[in-house]
Amino acid sequence: MNQPKIQKILIVNQSAPYSSGNAKESLDLALAAGTFEQDVSILFTGDACYQLLAMQNPKEIDSKKLSQMLKVLPIYGVENLFVDEQSLLDRNIKHIDHDLKITKISASKARELYQNATTVFRF
Amino acid sequence: MVFSILVLGAPFNSQSAYSAYRFAKAALESENTIYRVFFYQDGIHNSSAIATPPQDEFDLYEAWQTLQTQYSLDFVTCIAAAARRGLLNETEAQRHNKNNSNMAKEFDLSGLGQLIEATALSDQVITFGQ
Repeated sequence: MNQPKIQKILIVNQSAPYSSGNAKESLDLALAAGTFEQDVSILFTGDACYQLLAMQNPKEIDSKKLSQMLKVLPIYGVENLFVDEQSLLDRNIKHIDHDLKITKISASKARELYQNATTVFRF
Repeated sequence: MVFSILVLGAPFNSQSAYSAYRFAKAALESENTIYRVFFYQDGIHNSSAIATPPQDEFDLYEAWQTLQTQYSLDFVTCIAAAARRGLLNETEAQRHNKNNSNMAKEFDLSGLGQLIEATALSDQVITFGQ
């Protein structure tokens, strides 16, 4: 397979962590895009904010900790992580996992992400 | 225009798989090109060889297979998404020590890199959601 030319890929994540496979399968796509050295951004919005909580104990439901898995993203070159500020406020989420290097952004900044992306994948 | 299509929905359960099929067919009939159709998440179920819809209903499984043959399309099913949902070709069935395979021969199993490559080599990637 040819090394694809660099695309600006935006992965929009709007699903809660354990209610579906979306969180895991969007992460897999982000890792693949990072492996192929694409310019990847991930935007967490809506219930996807719950993926970012530090206090998760998914062992109780035999699942792997999402916020822990998100921490490997920078190793794959995926460093542009954003969360929609309003979504956090709406859910009264004040403490997201400190180890995640994630930027809180406004709706207008989120719109810019969409505008600048060559391809958007939504989960 | 060169399109790639990402299919995330399973037949019957979701209209999106059928819409993806209609889009692909319309694109090809109007002299556009489809670089790749990538099946991910529940979309992998489109590549089942054994699903058998009732005889008086549209057979989307067969329709995909016919379309692939007719236009020699590149159909790629995500290998990880397929394995965890119980869809294996012969090679994968052997590798995982399973007695049976159940994937239509018109589809190839491969990784998400094929989707990333498709985004780079197509004018547009159209997603048909869950």
